[in-house]
Amino acid sequence: MSRAYFTRENIVRHHIDSFNDFLDYGLQKVIKEQGTIETDIEDTYVRLGEIRVGKPTVKEADGAQDLLYPNDGRLRNITYSAPLFLEMTIVKGETENEPVEAVIGQLPIMLMSKCCNLAEMTHEEMVGVGEDPLDPGGYFIVNGTERVLMTLEDLAPNKIFADFEVRYGDRIEVAKVFSERRGYRALVVVERGRKSIVEVSFPAISGRLSFITLMRSMGVETDEDIVNMVSDNPEVIKFMLENLEEAEVHTIEEAMEKVGSRVAAGQTKEYQIKRANYVIDRYLLPHLGNDPAHRTVKAQYLARMAESCFELALGRRQPDDKDHYANKRLKLSGDLMEDLFRVSFNRLARDVKYQLERANMRNRDLNVVTVVRADVLTERLAHPLATGNWVGGRAGVSQLLDRIDYMAALSHLRRVISPLSRAQPHFEARDLHPTQWGRICPSETPEGPNCGLVKNFAQMVEISTEVYDLKGLKQTLYNLGVEHVAPQIMGLEETPITYATELEAIEQSAEYNNTDEGGDSFE
Amino acid sequence: MIGTVPKRIKEIRFGLISPKEYRKMSVTRVITADTYDDDGFPIEMGLMDPKMGVIDPGLRCKTCGGRAGECPGHFGHVELIAPVVHVGFAKLIRKILRATCKDCSALLLDSTQKKEYLEQIRMLRTIGQPIEDITNEVFKEARKPKTCQYCSAQQLDIKVEKPSTYVEKDGTHEHKLMPSDIRARFEKITDDDIEVMGMDPSVARPEWTIMTVLPVPPVTMRPSITLESGQRSEDDLTHKLVDIIRINQRFQENREAGAPQLIIEDLWELLQYHVTTFIDNAVSGVPPARHRSGRPLKTLSQRLKGKEGRFRGSLSGKRVNFSARTVISPDPNLSISEVGVPLTMAMELSIPVNVTKRNIEEVREYIKRGPDNHPGANYVIRDDNRRLKVTDKNCEELAETLEIGWKVDRQLKNGDVILFNRQPSLHRMSIMAHEVKVLPHKTFRLNPAVCPPYNADFDGDEMNMHVLQTEEARAEAKMLIHVQENILSPRFGGPIIGGIHDHISGMYMLTKGENRLDKNDFLEMLRKSRISQIIEPEGTQDGKPYWTGKQVFSQILPDGLNMTYKALLCENCATCKKEDCNRDAYVTIRDGQLLSGTIDEKAVGAFKGLILDRIVKDYTPPVALQFIDDMTRLAIRSIMHFGFSFGINDEDIPEEASAQISELLEDAEARVMDLIIAFNEGNLEPLPGRTVAETLELRIMQELGKARDSTGDIAGNYLGLDNAAVIMAVSGARGSMLNLTQMAGCVGQQAVRGERIRRGYAGRTLSNFNHGDLGAGAHGFVKSSYKKGLSPTEYFFHAIGGREGLVDTAVRTSQSGYLQRRLVNALQDLEVQYDGTVRDTRGMVVQFKYGEDGVDPMKSDYSKPQTIRRIIEDVTGKEVE
Repeated sequence: MSRAYFTRENIVRHHIDSFNDFLDYGLQKVIKEQGTIETDIEDTYVRLGEIRVGKPTVKEADGAQDLLYPNDGRLRNITYSAPLFLEMTIVKGETENEPVEAVIGQLPIMLMSKCCNLAEMTHEEMVGVGEDPLDPGGYFIVNGTERVLMTLEDLAPNKIFADFEVRYGDRIEVAKVFSERRGYRALVVVERGRKSIVEVSFPAISGRLSFITLMRSMGVETDEDIVNMVSDNPEVIKFMLENLEEAEVHTIEEAMEKVGSRVAAGQTKEYQIKRANYVIDRYLLPHLGNDPAHRTVKAQYLARMAESCFELALGRRQPDDKDHYANKRLKLSGDLMEDLFRVSFNRLARDVKYQLERANMRNRDLNVVTVVRADVLTERLAHPLATGNWVGGRAGVSQLLDRIDYMAALSHLRRVISPLSRAQPHFEARDLHPTQWGRICPSETPEGPNCGLVKNFAQMVEISTEVYDLKGLKQTLYNLGVEHVAPQIMGLEETPITYATELEAIEQSAEYNNTDEGGDSFE
Repeated sequence: MIGTVPKRIKEIRFGLISPKEYRKMSVTRVITADTYDDDGFPIEMGLMDPKMGVIDPGLRCKTCGGRAGECPGHFGHVELIAPVVHVGFAKLIRKILRATCKDCSALLLDSTQKKEYLEQIRMLRTIGQPIEDITNEVFKEARKPKTCQYCSAQQLDIKVEKPSTYVEKDGTHEHKLMPSDIRARFEKITDDDIEVMGMDPSVARPEWTIMTVLPVPPVTMRPSITLESGQRSEDDLTHKLVDIIRINQRFQENREAGAPQLIIEDLWELLQYHVTTFIDNAVSGVPPARHRSGRPLKTLSQRLKGKEGRFRGSLSGKRVNFSARTVISPDPNLSISEVGVPLTMAMELSIPVNVTKRNIEEVREYIKRGPDNHPGANYVIRDDNRRLKVTDKNCEELAETLEIGWKVDRQLKNGDVILFNRQPSLHRMSIMAHEVKVLPHKTFRLNPAVCPPYNADFDGDEMNMHVLQTEEARAEAKMLIHVQENILSPRFGGPIIGGIHDHISGMYMLTKGENRLDKNDFLEMLRKSRISQIIEPEGTQDGKPYWTGKQVFSQILPDGLNMTYKALLCENCATCKKEDCNRDAYVTIRDGQLLSGTIDEKAVGAFKGLILDRIVKDYTPPVALQFIDDMTRLAIRSIMHFGFSFGINDEDIPEEASAQISELLEDAEARVMDLIIAFNEGNLEPLPGRTVAETLELRIMQELGKARDSTGDIAGNYLGLDNAAVIMAVSGARGSMLNLTQMAGCVGQQAVRGERIRRGYAGRTLSNFNHGDLGAGAHGFVKSSYKKGLSPTEYFFHAIGGREGLVDTAVRTSQSGYLQRRLVNALQDLEVQYDGTVRDTRGMVVQFKYGEDGVDPMKSDYSKPQTIRRIIEDVTGKEVE
C-alpha cells in the first residue's frame, strides 16, 4: 500500500500543491484586493489587471536572459526565481491608456512546482541539467542556499473557542475567536464576568465593552431582539435579563456615543461617532466583512459567542479542546508566500505611487514600465526567504534544508512547527492528541525543549487546499439536509451526525474535498 | 612586590564623583584628539599620553614608572566646554527638576513634611533597610504643588524628550532647559533638601549628575592593537573619545568666534550625543554610534552589561588555564580514584616545581628529557622570573645550568592529583580529585563505578580536568575532595560510588547458593585483587579441593566485619527462615567471612550498598576504596567466568503461559465490562469523596493494573530465576520486574497525567472505536507484550503515553536547573562555623545548630538512627530487633 501511495503521490505534495495554489489563485487574489493604485495626482490612478508568472530565468552580465536550472542556482549562489508580469493601466480622468504588462519583480519559485523548469521533465532530462531525479523538490533556492518554508500549525481562525479563565481568583467563561481577514488578525473575546455581565473586548478598544451596548450599536435595539439572537433557552434568557437590567444604553444612538467615547476618548462628539462606526466595521470581527451592511451578521455572531459562554456556565457544553486537530489549521508554503506577497506588493504599490507622483512633478509622461521598480518587490520577497524573518515578526519560518542525508531532507520537508513558546511547559499542547492519528507521526518529535511542538506529517497525510467555490460547497451541504438559518451561521444540525461518508462520495465525483481536517460534525 | 598590611573593608559607600575629584584623580588634561605621532610614539596631552599608562612593551609609564603590564593605568580628563547630562542619571534629573522650585531650587515640601521624611529616612538607614519607598514618595509629593511654598514662583511642567532633553512648558510656550541651566538650579539646592531626596550631599550632590569634566579612562583599558600590516587599530572607546574631543574643540572655536546661537545649540547637542554614546551606546531614542564598518561601537555600558559583560562573563564566569576536556570512556582496570589521561594532554599540561636541594637531580632529569619525551618539562623559570621554553635543542644546556630556587614546569605524570568534573555540577561530587594515569589514545578513561556521582555515561559525554598548580591546592584536594573521601553522599548518608550493572550481576552469580570453584578458577577470580594467600578449601569433590563463591567474596572483605541483613531478593516471608532461606537472601557476615546470603545491589551497589556503607564508616576511606576496586574487579572476573547474555529469546514464554495470560486479560476485560454495565445502569457504588464516573475510572485502572501485574507474575514464574533478565531485575543490576512484565506479559494501561487516555474526538478517543466506548482497549490499555508486538491502536496509545514521559523529562531538566541556580544563589554564602552554628557573611546566625540537629548527613546511616543498635549488636554479638 505504501508503495502504491508513493508511486502515485509525491512525498512533498503538500508544499507543491500549496505553492501551485498560490500561483494560480493566491497571486491574483492579492492583486484583486489591492485593485487600484491611487495617486495624489488629480483623477489619476493605476488599474491592476491580470498577474502572470514566467519561467525561472537568469539575467547574465551581458544582458542575455537564459532559462535557469536549480543546480545553476545552487552553484552560482543565485536565486531560483521567475519574473512576475502584471497588467497595469493608467487611468487619467476619462482617458484610459493602453494596458501595459510590466515586470514587477522576481518571485522565488519552489522546485517541482508548476512554474519550475523541472516540472515536466523526464528523469533523463533532469540528469541532463544536473538534478537528482529522486529529489522531491518542495523548497526554494535563495542566493544559492536551499530554503524550506516550515509548515506552521495555528489555532483555527474564525472559529469560536469557549473556555474557562481565571480572573482575580474568579472562574469566568470566555468565548474567543481569532477573526482573520486578508492577513489581519483580530482577537475578539466575549466573556461572562461576575454577576453574569457579558463584556466584549476587541482590538482598537482598551479594556472591555458591555455586550448589550455593542449589540445596540450594531443596530439590534430592542431587548427582545437581543435575547432572541442569543438563545431561546429559558436559563440563558434569565442571564440575558440580568444583563439587560444593567444596560447602560437603550437606543442605537446612545450606544454609538458610548462606543465612541471608548474608542476616541477626549475627542469631539462628531469625531467619536465617526470613529465608532469605523471601528465597528473594521476592527470587530473583520472576517464577516468590512461594510455597515455586515453589522447584523456580526451581531448574530457575537450573540452566538455569548451563548457559548452561557452554555459553558450552565454546564451544557464542555470547553473546546484547543489541541483537537480539527481546531488547527496548517499554514503551508503557499499561504506563507501569500502573506509575504501581500505585504511586499503593498510596499511596491506605495513605491509606484511615489514614483508616479515624482514623474508627474517633473512633467514627464506617465509610463508604468518605467515607474515600476522591480527590485523593490524582488528584494522584499527574497529577503524573508533568505533569513527566515517573515512578515509579522515571525522568525525561523524558512530554514536551510537539512541535507545530512536523504531521510533528513524528506523529514525536514514534512515538518510542522507550532508557534507556541518553547520556554513554557504547555503540557497539553505537547501531548500526542488522538486526533493526530493518520495526520501527524506519533513517534517523530525531537527530545528536549521542542518536544511535541515540532511535529512531522504521518506517512500518508493529505492536505486539502482552500475551497474557492464557496457557493457550490454551501449548496452541496444544503442538498445533504443542512437547514438554512442565518447568512453566516449557514446551518444548524440538531443531532451531530456525520456527513463524512456522503461528502467522501461527493469528493470522488466532484473536484473539491473538505473532509481532511477532521470534519467530524458540522454545527 | 610591596608588602601590604592586611586591611578589612568596613563598608562600601556609593556616591557621585565631583568635577573637582575628576581633576584631582586625573594625571593629565587631554586637549588633542591625536594619538600617536609619525614615529609611532604617543603624543603628550593626547589620548594615548604615556602619563595615563603604557601598552607598548619597552616604554615606561610617566606617572608610576611601571612597564606595560605592571602599570595599572591612570585616568586623564577632558574639560568639557559646556556641561552635558550623564545619561545614567537622566531619570534622577527629571525627578529632581520636577520636585524643586524653578527659581529658588527649594524642595517643594513643607518644612514639617521634610522633617518627617528625613526622620524616616534616617531611621531606615540605621537599621539597614532600603529607603526607596520613602524617596519615591518624596518625589511624588513634591511634584504636586503648583507654586513654590517659599518664593511663590509658579511651577511649570517639565517634559522629557528622548533620553536627556528637558523642556519647560508654560502654556503653549516651550522653553528648552540647557544642561547649564539645570546645573545652575541644582547647585542652589540646600544640603538638607538633598538629604530628604535620599542622597548624601557630602558624596553626591545633584549637580554632579551634569558633567563638566569627562574622565578619560586609562590607556590600559582601551589598548590599541597593531595589525599585521603594521597599521594601528584603536579601541572603540578611543574612537568615541576622539569624537568627543573633536566636537569639544569645534564647540570652543565656534563659541569664541561668536557663532550664532543656533550653531552653538547644534554643537551642544552633538557633544551631548557623543558623551551619551560614550557611556551607553544602547539608549533608546538615540541612534547607536557606529564604527566605519557599520558595526555599533561597544562602549562603557556594553562592556559591563549582559551575559558576555564584565560581571557575568569575566568575573563570575572566568575561563582558566591548565584545564583539559575530552570524551570519556570506561576502563574497569583503573582504580576508581584514577583517571586515564591521554599522553598528548599530559605532555601539554604542567605542574610548577620549585627546585630545591632535594629534588634538583630529579628535576634536572625532566629537563634533560625535553618537551617531547613524556615525563619531561616544558618551561624553566629562572630566579629573575624569566620564562624559558624547554626545546629539544636547549634541554641539555638548561639541565646543566639549573639552579636551586628556580621553578620548572614539569609535565603531568602518573600519580599527580588533578580535579575531574562533569557538568552540570549539581552537587559536590561533581568535582572530585583523581590521580593521573597517563595512557595512550585520546579519551579520558575512568572506572565505571565512579559514574554515579558524576552521572556520567559513555554515549559521548565529555569531562573536564583541572591541573592543580600549588602544593596547598594539591594537599587540600587530597584531603577533602579525593574520590575516597566522597564515597558517601551527604544527600542520604550512603555510598554513591559502588558496583553498577555487571558488577552486581557478577557478584550475584558468584555468591548465589554454593558455587564450587576449583583451584584454577579460584585463583583466576582473585587474580586482579591484592590477595596473596590461598585459604583452606571448603571441601573436596572428586578428590579435588574446591572453594565456594562465598569464600571467594570473603577474601576481599576486611577482617573483623560483622553484618546481618536481608538482601534485595528477600521476599518478605511472614516468618523469616534466616540462614535456611530458600532464596539465599539472609546475609550474615562474621569476621569478614560471608556465611550465608547473596551479594546483590543492596550489598555493594551505588546508592544502596550496605556492606560498602559499613566498610566506609567502620574502617577508613582507603580500605573502602580498596574494597570497591577489588569488588569490581572480582565481579568482572566472575561475570566472565559464568557468562552472561540476554537476547530476544530470553523473553520467550511457553504456549501455556501465553494462554494463561490471555485468559487472565480476558477475565480482566470482562470485569471491566461488568463495571461499565453497572455504571450505565447506575448500580455502581461511588467511593467516598468521588463521583460515580471517577469511581468507575479508578476501579477500571485498579482492575487493569492488577491484571498487568498478574501477567508479570505468570511470565516471571515461567522464565525462572536463571533467566538473564530475571537475574538483572532480582539482583538490582538493571531493569525491574515491571520491564520484564511489559516485555513478556502485557504492556498495560497507558496513562496521561495519571488518567486513562480520554481526549480525542467527540465521545471517543479514536475513530476506530464506537462513541461512548468506555472499555479498556478504547482508552489506552495495551494487551500485547513488546515481544508479541502492539496493534496499531495500541501502538498509538503507547506513543501518547511515551510522549508524556518525553515532555516531562524535557521540562523537568530546565526547571530543576533554574531551581538549583536560585537555591545556590540564596545559600552560597552560608557557612557552618566551628561552634556548629550556620551563619551568613555578616556573622548572623541562620541556624543555631546545623540542620537543627547538628547531624552530618554524610555520616548518618541513611538518616536513620542505626548507630545505637549497631553498637549494642557489636558489643553483645546478638541481633537486636
